Amino acid sequence: MQVYDAPLRDMRFVLNELHQDDGFGDLPALAEFTPDLTDAVLEEAARFAREVLLPINRSGDEEGCHIDNGVVRTPAGFREAYSAFREGGWTALAADPEWGGQGLPETVNKLVEEMICGANISFGLYPGLTHGATTAIESHAADELKQAYLPKMVSGEWTGTMCLTEAHCGTDLGLLRTKAVPQADGSYRITGSKIFISAGDHDLTENIIHLVLARLPDAPRGVKGISLFLVPKYLPRADGTPGQANGVSCANIEHKMGLKASATCQMNFEDSTGWLVGAPNKGMEAMFTMMNTERVSVGVQGLGVGEAAYQAAVWYARERIQGRSLSGPKRPDLAADPIIVHPDVRRMLMTMRAYNEGCRAVGNWVSRAIDAERHSEDAEVRQHAADFVALMTPVVKALFTDYGFETANLAVQTYGGHGYIRESGVEQYARDARITMIYEGTNGIQALDLVGRKLPANMGRLLRTFFHPVSAFIEENGGEGPLKRMVEGLQQAFGALQLSTAKIAEKGMKDPEEAAAAATDYLRLLGLVAMGYCFAKAAKIAAAKLAEGGNDAAFYQAKIATAAFFFDRILPQTSACFLAIKAGKKSMMGLDEAAF
Amino acid sequence: MSEATIRKVCVIGAGTMGAGIAAQVANAGVPVLLLDIVRDPANRNAVAEGAVAKMLKTDPAPFMSKAAAKLVETGNIEDHLARVAECDWIVEAIIERLDLKQQLYAKLEEVRTPGTAVSSNTSTIPLDHLVEGRSDAFKRDFLITHFFNPPRYMRLLEIVAGPASDAALVDRIADFADRRMGKTIVRAKDTPGFIANRVGTFWIQVGLNAAFDLGMTVEEADAIAGKPMGVPKTGIFGLVDLVGIDLMPHLQKSLTSTLPADDRYQQIARSFPLIETMIADGYTGRKGKGGFYRINRAENKRKEAIDLATGEYRPQAKAPELRGPAARGDLAALIATPGKAGEYAWAILGETLAYAASLVPEAADDIVAVDVAMKLGYNWKYGPFELIDRIGAAKLAERLAAEGRPVPAILTLAGDRSFYRVEGGRRQYLGLDGAYHDVPQAEGVLLLEDVKRNSEPVLRNASAALWDIGDGVACLEFTSKMNALDGEIMKLIGQAVLLVQQRFKALVVYNEGSNFSAGANLGLAMFAVNIAAWGEIEKLVAGGQLAYKTLKYAPFPVVSAPAGMALGGGCEILLHSDAVQAHAESYIGLVECGVGLIPGWGGCGEMLHRWQSNPKFPKGPMPAAAKVFEIVSTATVSKSAAEAREYGFLRAEDGITMNRDRLLADAKAKALSLVDGYRAPEQPTFRLPGAAGRAGMKLAVESFHKRGMATDYDMVVSDTLAEVLTGGDADLVDTVTEGDLLALERKAFMARVRDKRTQARVDHMLSTGKPLRN
Repeated sequence: MQVYDAPLRDMRFVLNELHQDDGFGDLPALAEFTPDLTDAVLEEAARFAREVLLPINRSGDEEGCHIDNGVVRTPAGFREAYSAFREGGWTALAADPEWGGQGLPETVNKLVEEMICGANISFGLYPGLTHGATTAIESHAADELKQAYLPKMVSGEWTGTMCLTEAHCGTDLGLLRTKAVPQADGSYRITGSKIFISAGDHDLTENIIHLVLARLPDAPRGVKGISLFLVPKYLPRADGTPGQANGVSCANIEHKMGLKASATCQMNFEDSTGWLVGAPNKGMEAMFTMMNTERVSVGVQGLGVGEAAYQAAVWYARERIQGRSLSGPKRPDLAADPIIVHPDVRRMLMTMRAYNEGCRAVGNWVSRAIDAERHSEDAEVRQHAADFVALMTPVVKALFTDYGFETANLAVQTYGGHGYIRESGVEQYARDARITMIYEGTNGIQALDLVGRKLPANMGRLLRTFFHPVSAFIEENGGEGPLKRMVEGLQQAFGALQLSTAKIAEKGMKDPEEAAAAATDYLRLLGLVAMGYCFAKAAKIAAAKLAEGGNDAAFYQAKIATAAFFFDRILPQTSACFLAIKAGKKSMMGLDEAAF
Repeated sequence: MSEATIRKVCVIGAGTMGAGIAAQVANAGVPVLLLDIVRDPANRNAVAEGAVAKMLKTDPAPFMSKAAAKLVETGNIEDHLARVAECDWIVEAIIERLDLKQQLYAKLEEVRTPGTAVSSNTSTIPLDHLVEGRSDAFKRDFLITHFFNPPRYMRLLEIVAGPASDAALVDRIADFADRRMGKTIVRAKDTPGFIANRVGTFWIQVGLNAAFDLGMTVEEADAIAGKPMGVPKTGIFGLVDLVGIDLMPHLQKSLTSTLPADDRYQQIARSFPLIETMIADGYTGRKGKGGFYRINRAENKRKEAIDLATGEYRPQAKAPELRGPAARGDLAALIATPGKAGEYAWAILGETLAYAASLVPEAADDIVAVDVAMKLGYNWKYGPFELIDRIGAAKLAERLAAEGRPVPAILTLAGDRSFYRVEGGRRQYLGLDGAYHDVPQAEGVLLLEDVKRNSEPVLRNASAALWDIGDGVACLEFTSKMNALDGEIMKLIGQAVLLVQQRFKALVVYNEGSNFSAGANLGLAMFAVNIAAWGEIEKLVAGGQLAYKTLKYAPFPVVSAPAGMALGGGCEILLHSDAVQAHAESYIGLVECGVGLIPGWGGCGEMLHRWQSNPKFPKGPMPAAAKVFEIVSTATVSKSAAEAREYGFLRAEDGITMNRDRLLADAKAKALSLVDGYRAPEQPTFRLPGAAGRAGMKLAVESFHKRGMATDYDMVVSDTLAEVLTGGDADLVDTVTEGDLLALERKAFMARVRDKRTQARVDHMLSTGKPLRN
């Protein structure tokens, strides 16, 4: 059964306790967002997720979106939920106050995003894409465009999209064909077809603002000849209300494995009026601004679904009785013990829990850096934070979504045969989570980004932001008690990561294929070390809190238990990664192509 | 040796060239009399004196040391001309006017000592005009010695002998210029512009013509004539800005007035109203208000370029980049590139290479002379005939013929062959007789390049190699990118020391890169820092210390032979050698403090030892430590080998070689001279001032800090250095060993490398090439 209660205690822990010494310093610009205030926001978001979004998650999946005469209809309840969402001010949460936003820290916003996606990931796509489009317009568009579009997008009256993919080009955008012809009035006429456009059309808002990648007539070939345009579904009138239709139409919607309540559209632009966002032929740069923030958000989607799947699995493992505990009956009053008593079920639940808590901790560390990059008064800190965000973005995207899917899969397994039946609600999580590993750059592309761009940049300068705190933590915490074993494990995994990094840098310089062959394992290795670092820190803090006493002992004890499980049962994955990286590309590329 | 017969030189004419030639003679350690006209009756030597004074402020400096400057005696033509009788060589470098030169020669004839050489530095006037009316004896002693600007740094010297010139006397001057002044001699014929200026002026002219005719921007033009062609990187407009736009009409005028009417140059010589206006308005290039490019200070140092059509400056625009083989130096692909880029490349190369080819044998005896002249006189990366080989002589001839243009005889002679080839390990060129001959080399020159063509290395890894250079001497060569020092080099040093003991008598550390070594591979080290591989970094430091000490205490003599930069670890290897034979143009220093580090490969101890054992320096623990602190904390780099002696980077007994091509031979000879009775040095011990000395050094830096000359972090870095140089916790009565100092160095190095501020300095250096003052 789908149950979802936002894990508020753990969220408050990563937000207020875990990363206080992250080196990004105080951010006076965000000082007004005190723990009291953010607590209230988180609680309200949790309520909204549980009461408004969760109830339409499974029904939305069953019903899906429809297209009638070129008009896309969302499933029952979505319009109402969206209105409530907008009226509650949730669309404006993290936006700049200049455009009507509330300017909430990213650390809080990402937690809210996790809740929305945990309750209903399909729903989350609509405001999520708007947020990405808003960011691109804010960073690159001319003032008039900002004035005309941002307030309505921030308030949620209009939504936004990103139109990149065409039928023949996904990962390789250099091939795209959509054309933009300049007009005398400074606008452009956009013509072309796009596919896989999330929220491309729907019935939630009166207007939709598309950001479209297209080519100018004299543009250079490849990715250096792509420009970004703002193309509204309806051209706004002088008073800001939607006016004349702008040649933007939805030809069809895709029939997908999951994420069914989110409309994935084929969009046609026919002589649609658009305006340039950013400089001519610099569309990829503008797009990447949006994509980078979106990639972290997609990672959080994976985590959100993972948390929901975990909760559903725990509910079932307590509910379902089957067999007796191997150490003697635990519920003699029942015909069998709840399956939560069985070691293999525990293995699954603990694994899911450790993935979720580890990712949440890493995610909040990265969110802190995003805030510091935007708001720190110290240029060095801003640079340091930007380096860290750049390094960790592909890790968050790929690691969180890989584990999100794995967690959903484990939830299905926990349910046994019932998990394979639609009514249980958990197979939806597996289907929904699956897309997060693919869109916004497949996880393979994320790994390439990490080893090909982020690792070698400026002689490894980005790495410093991660390696130095981890190294310092290991040096400073060799001590005693349960932490000792954790730090030893972390040290070993960190050593494997250092060695792998040096090897990839060395081999990759001579042969890029070597770096590419190591990429996926390397990303996993780095991600696991990041989780290990966060768990060790968390355990240290938890131990200190327990020593202090207080009434939160259960939470901290559980935190230490989960950390111990992570070090015993999950961190050893790093050894496999290390061995795979060390093996190099030879056996991967050795088989003759014809033999496939 | 015949060069020794030149004991004193007189240079007449103290303009840029004359003064620069005088300075280079003085750099060779030979006294010079520098004369010019009397302009100020109150101070009759003012012109020559002013020239010397100006040179002392010029950067890059014409003098290699203060001692050299003292060798120049100034005077004037009216009062001191008779003193030319004291001189073995008189160089005339006055204004390019035949009548004035002839008048001067007439006077010289009365006062000079017959049998001593007289040469003119003319770049335009034929030799037979110059000696018109002179005695046979004067004609016998006369030649043209055409230096390039600036005479210290440009390696080319064109020598033109007349029909009456005494061959032995010409050889004597050539030998002096080669061995003592460090010049590479090209023998040119007595034709207008000789070789380099004739080809160079022609090349610039076709480059300008084509850019205007094809309607290209200066950036577009230089993007093609620069890096892809490689002659030189600046491109043509960039080069003209550098040498001075106003020089162009002079060169043009002298060539058009002296070259025969049917010379191709007469047809292409053109003037451009835009360029005339620029010169008239003072836009003469980098030395003037700006040139084809300029930095607009009013617009926040914006880089601008001139619009060739309108003459207005506009922000510099990046020219579209070439792609494919044409961008990577494939000249055949470059001239075949469709569009303006290819047309422009062909316009330059087709014309210039055909012209250069037509000058053998008219202006030069062989193709080698033309190639050497262009490479050393105009900084071309390849000579014209080397460029033709890269296109293919047959292909070039074919295209010239197809366009109905004359095909130079030597191209026809070459046919399908190349102008150069390697045969039996020797580099050969195509002679006018149609046969290949060995590329001639001055007597006594030894080049590693030739050794490498002829043999396999004795040892090799990714960053270094060991070669057998004959007579029982091995040569250790760095082969890493930019000769940056890394773990592989240290490994090879260890292996080489074992092998040389068994199979050789001595070792020379030498390479033919443009810099000996600018130090450790910072990028690599920084990568290790970035991944917090502290253990690896400490190993790298300890490994370097071990390698250098192994070299120092090896049972055979080690001679290092630097040229260009020898910085950081590149300097430390010199400090660990038994002797150094340095090229005069060696820039040596321990620059670690600049990036927030301290010398970690034994440099601190070696420098302390040098200054402690310097007999002319005060004794006691403090003076040497303070001296080394002063030199190292300010990251001092010598501006020449001679100046390196002042800092103790070189010892008085270390040798200096003026001619780059003779460095290896000299180093080898030095190494062999140390073989008999060689004993490895004994380990020094130190008495160091300890904490009190360190406090004194801190006080000194604080005063700089107060005056804003040292940054906050400079204080930290210099204190770390002071800690090592004063012996750490050592007390005045303690004996500090070499090993103690090495341990201190390691500890201090690790403390600094782990500091964020050092990391920021290294980041900045790696990304901008400039030091960060944090």
